[in-house]
Amino acid sequence: MAQPEAHAQAYLDPGTPEEQSRRTFMVNAVLTLGGVITLAIAVPVLTSLVPAADAVGNAWSPLTPDEWAALQKATSKPIKVTFTLHQVDGYLPPEDDAEFVWAVKANEADFKAKRPDLFEGSTKIPYPLVYLGFTIFSPICPHLGCRFSWVDAQNKFICPCHGSEFTNIGTHIAGPAPRGLDPLPLRAVNGKAELTWIEYKQNTPDHIVLRIG
Amino acid sequence: MLNWLDQRTGFVTLTKDFLTEDVPGGASYWYAFGSATVFAMMLQIVTGIFLTFYYSPSAATAWESTKYIIEKVPAGQLVLSLHYWGATAMIAFMMMHMLQVLLWGAYKKPRELQWIVGVILFIVTLVLGLTGYLLPWDLNALLASKVAIQIAGSAPVLGKAVLLFLQDGSGIGTLTINRFFGIHVWLTPAVLVVLVAMHLLIFRWNGSAGAPIDTMPKLKPGRFWPDQMFMDTVVSFAMLIIIFALSIVSPAPLDAKADPNNTQFVPYPAWYFMALFSLLDVVGSFNFPSAVIDFLGLFATIIFPTLLIVVLIALPFIDKNPSRRLSRRPLVLTCTGLVLGGAIILSFYGQYHVEQQQMLHGINQPASAATTTVAATAAGGGGAAAPAGMAAGASVYTANCAGCHGAAGTGQPGVFPPLANNAVVTGPPAAVIKIVNSGLTGAVSIGGSTYNGMMPAWKGNLTPAQIAEVVTYIRNSWGNKGSPVTTAEVLVAK
Repeated sequence: MAQPEAHAQAYLDPGTPEEQSRRTFMVNAVLTLGGVITLAIAVPVLTSLVPAADAVGNAWSPLTPDEWAALQKATSKPIKVTFTLHQVDGYLPPEDDAEFVWAVKANEADFKAKRPDLFEGSTKIPYPLVYLGFTIFSPICPHLGCRFSWVDAQNKFICPCHGSEFTNIGTHIAGPAPRGLDPLPLRAVNGKAELTWIEYKQNTPDHIVLRIG
Repeated sequence: MLNWLDQRTGFVTLTKDFLTEDVPGGASYWYAFGSATVFAMMLQIVTGIFLTFYYSPSAATAWESTKYIIEKVPAGQLVLSLHYWGATAMIAFMMMHMLQVLLWGAYKKPRELQWIVGVILFIVTLVLGLTGYLLPWDLNALLASKVAIQIAGSAPVLGKAVLLFLQDGSGIGTLTINRFFGIHVWLTPAVLVVLVAMHLLIFRWNGSAGAPIDTMPKLKPGRFWPDQMFMDTVVSFAMLIIIFALSIVSPAPLDAKADPNNTQFVPYPAWYFMALFSLLDVVGSFNFPSAVIDFLGLFATIIFPTLLIVVLIALPFIDKNPSRRLSRRPLVLTCTGLVLGGAIILSFYGQYHVEQQQMLHGINQPASAATTTVAATAAGGGGAAAPAGMAAGASVYTANCAGCHGAAGTGQPGVFPPLANNAVVTGPPAAVIKIVNSGLTGAVSIGGSTYNGMMPAWKGNLTPAQIAEVVTYIRNSWGNKGSPVTTAEVLVAK
């Protein structure tokens, strides 16, 4: 204890052993109650930082007849298809956003042969890659998130930012990207095709979901 | 480890020095009000910071993001409710702290400046309460804040400038929310923290005042650490348990989204402003000439609160009686008792009045209760449940209005417009109040027909309370359905 000053006369007298033991109890009580108070406040405020259940929601967007027709034009040469994504952005009213994706005609055997990583381990994708004969690729480069394009003359996808290159079924062939292109889930419900949007963490070989829908 | 830190920073020595402090007469639970207020402030700062992770101040998002916090954010409703009840706790403990200092005469020499900083802290905290009240942007937030802003705007000389500053424009909208957010979240907390630091530093310089006695030598000193600190912690802990219980049993409410055109909702102030709100109501119910009523309105809204603040700040210089003993300070204690007693009575009266108004309209109630009341109103049209306000309004109407507008509100073709099924009557209350207050001449068109009679000005002939009653009556008779009108609204309308 610091040297008692004029405002601390009470500390000159060390007190009876009984007083001393009572003070030890009070010190421990203050520390314990202080800890409980801190926890009681910290738990709710920190819990509130966890993203809400539907902030990482799962919304499927049905393709319109026009969008479905556009998708049909894809061959082994990928084409750009724009579709309407039903987006929920926090507390804002839900909005329909136009998003483009890349569609290509493909079959599962090609993926098994050329992109085995999509079927096993931490890079595995848990939904069918080919549906209704088509595969849809996210337009986001797995390197750092730029939007890449299909370059017909060179017969490959090229990302303008850092020059990553991919084949028509998304196999990584050049540049800094750590994995191939990310297929998006496509499914048919009552005969209508539906698509949903997934964003994977960039710049890692693994498929770590950041956002669905 | 602590030695290493202390050699380089002095933190350990400073902390020990801060905690090593005499408490006159020994530690006491009576000394815990101030520290409990500080604890509530810290709770407000922590919960407030985390609320800003979601809250978004604009007319398009304020209510939506608050709803999102309540419905979607994990533990969001709890954090919001802790903030809601923490505000009440902070103001309640601050009031008790202040009352104790007043009763014990602890504001006297040499603690004048400590007291003045305390009074300013009280005002800053009330500003926090007032600005925070608007932020959820529900019906009550908008309509109650409107009354507060209009009251500030009715001040002489500076009124208009203050009104424009508070609203950031001609109406209450997105800019007002943004402005109140800036005041509530950045400006006032910063000022508050600086002032609290000042309050504590001056406290350390003077030491604790102790119980109200004059005898020398002083009381036997006790220890702040750990004796007083233990009691402070116990009180803060108990307060936190109560805040948690209230937050779980009665979470922060959120009414429907703010809608300036809503004519059904009866706004209610926070409990710590209820006395002032009620004073305005009472003043309006006197039967005096209109000039006197105008002055009394100004007195209730501006002059009295300003006077109270001035007296509080000047108190250590007005009350130079050196004695702190209760028996030697009859004047200060009497005045304190009168103001406090008046505030409590006014608060209860105001609460009663708000509930009356709400009952009249079957709103502001839990959904189930509201449904039954609305059904009863629709079926009975002022049956057994009709509140006293309607009866008083009916007698004012019969005596003054029925001659021209008819007992059934049918009016007279070409001269006096009908009041039944008249959109102006059930529209914004301010327009109806203005017509009754100031009269109306010239042709008006109601429901496709033109009327060209003359409506006299009733201000001066009827009290503001009577005008409120009769306007409430015509808005809710003959099939009309409009919000009740309070005396305060009549007083504020010019």
